[in-house]
Amino acid sequence: MRTLFLTGIFVIALPICCAPFPDGPLDNDEAGPTNVNTRLIVESVQVSGQGSAKLSDPLRSELSEFAGKNFDQPLLERLADRIKQELHAPDVRMHVVKGDMPDHVIVNFEIGVEREKRFDLDLARFLYHSKQGWSGQGHATVNIHENAFSFGMISDGDRLSQRYAGIQAGFERRHVGTDRLQLRFDFASYHEQWNEATLLEAAPGDIYRTRTQFSPTATIVILEPLVVSFGVDFARYRLSLPVANTESSNAVVSTLRYHQRWGSAGDEGEQDIRASYSVRAGTHFLESDPVFARHETEARYRFRRRHQDLSIGFLAGKISGLAPLFERFVLGNAETLRGWNKFDLDPLGASRVVHGSIDYVYRGFLVFYDTGAVWDRPEDREQKQSLGLGCKKSGFQLAVAFPVRTGVVSPVFYAGMNF
Amino acid sequence: MRMRTIKPWWVIAAFLSGLAFAMWAEELVLSTQEGRLEFAAPRVHFLVGKPLERLRNASEVPFVFKITLWSGTRTHVLREVPARFVVSYDLWEEKFSVTKLVTPRRTARHLTDNAAEAWCLQEMSQDVTGISANEPLWARLEIRAEDSKESGLPFGRGNITDSGINLTSLIEIFSRPAATTQPHWTIETGPVTLDELRRGRRRG
Repeated sequence: MRTLFLTGIFVIALPICCAPFPDGPLDNDEAGPTNVNTRLIVESVQVSGQGSAKLSDPLRSELSEFAGKNFDQPLLERLADRIKQELHAPDVRMHVVKGDMPDHVIVNFEIGVEREKRFDLDLARFLYHSKQGWSGQGHATVNIHENAFSFGMISDGDRLSQRYAGIQAGFERRHVGTDRLQLRFDFASYHEQWNEATLLEAAPGDIYRTRTQFSPTATIVILEPLVVSFGVDFARYRLSLPVANTESSNAVVSTLRYHQRWGSAGDEGEQDIRASYSVRAGTHFLESDPVFARHETEARYRFRRRHQDLSIGFLAGKISGLAPLFERFVLGNAETLRGWNKFDLDPLGASRVVHGSIDYVYRGFLVFYDTGAVWDRPEDREQKQSLGLGCKKSGFQLAVAFPVRTGVVSPVFYAGMNF
Repeated sequence: MRMRTIKPWWVIAAFLSGLAFAMWAEELVLSTQEGRLEFAAPRVHFLVGKPLERLRNASEVPFVFKITLWSGTRTHVLREVPARFVVSYDLWEEKFSVTKLVTPRRTARHLTDNAAEAWCLQEMSQDVTGISANEPLWARLEIRAEDSKESGLPFGRGNITDSGINLTSLIEIFSRPAATTQPHWTIETGPVTLDELRRGRRRG
């Protein structure tokens, strides 16, 4: 009944959310443009100031496309915003001056001097899922001389097989002698809440009530698109046994990331590839109780052209040994096998996972297809599929997803941002 | 105990500076022509400061004008007429262009700064047929330059990033007093009757 009600809300909300967003404050109508400078031709577009060399190729290519075209203030202002976003610059100002040729102008985007933002507040993730309820995560960051101290709160019932809620704190230094080396220390303390289905399946020694984690990591930029992170993750969790017992899961962590972009979102289209491989190894050497090795690889290819956005994702993972439940793989949430309930697929999470997804967005209207499987033993492996539709705009997403199966169709509704 | 006295030249200086200020104060000049009430404000210049800086950077700057007329008593609002103008400055011709956003649009081009300001005021003229010639009138002109950027919107560009909604920028937007960030001018005149205006006895 509740799902039907939510689906009803979704059907009403979808056309509203997918309605075209207004672009720019003053659009030109049949009477012609209001800015007299639209008759002028852009001679060249330049970017100056701190960090201008770090501008991505797709954005550079878009900038150069403006040369030879008529001056278009709203479009150029949007470009300034994109430069600001990409370089995390505090300010990007557009300066327009006369060009060398008559009726031509030169546009210069000046990147403002990095003024350290002393205090920052971010709502990093927010989600409502009709099966798993609310999830949210927020952070406050204080920056002091290139050192970032953050404090956050989280309650997440979506990513793992249990809901974890608590506090997160971190320290980050983005430049350690060089731009290529970063250091990070993360601390988290969570209380765990378990679903009935998980409690029924789990052994008493698998369930824990609280968990604290401390992980120092270093990140090195090897070659511009290739980044490697390594460190350790110390986790202590208190088991829900009649005699309270604390165990440790201490793992060596290493991640290799690759991110590359080509083209521009204009005529030719922009392509974006992100890939990562991570390994977490719990070892007796670090006095870990469980001994395991967790391998995970993820890849996402994205193609954007004008109002179209196609995204293809892949995930695979394997755990050997006995890992604690928070290390196990989960499908059937707001990011994977959307439409399925994770507690129906595997309430404990699994040691093997394969997942693929295709998302297509046209003018904010989203359709997607997910397929994947989670299993511990080869005979348990069963491929599941789901389909869904919704809308996606500026990080916000509102969708309804259906599991592909025979029998009763029970749609899943979810809405939120950055998940 | 020594008594401090105010020197007479201080009184004179204060009086003269007050008089000078009054003479140079911004004023709204009314006149009538063919049944229309026309406005002029020769000492008010809105194509200055930040708006002018934006115009000289090839941006268009929207201005909102509002005329308020009171008749009979100061509490009786006869008419409130807002209008929106968009001003731009041709970098090569070094002339202004103004468009009044009405249907159909009206545009004036190749204007100097003073001519552009005057054209906007001319476009604000009001039909006064039907108003008694002896009825006292008060008039107020308000001009406000608008920020053309969308950044003022809570969920506008720049506030949502890959890492989520930046709450700091939202707090900044909501705690910013709207009126003080926008350049604005307000001038008033009255009471004056249409008869006085027609006889040309009363200005400002």
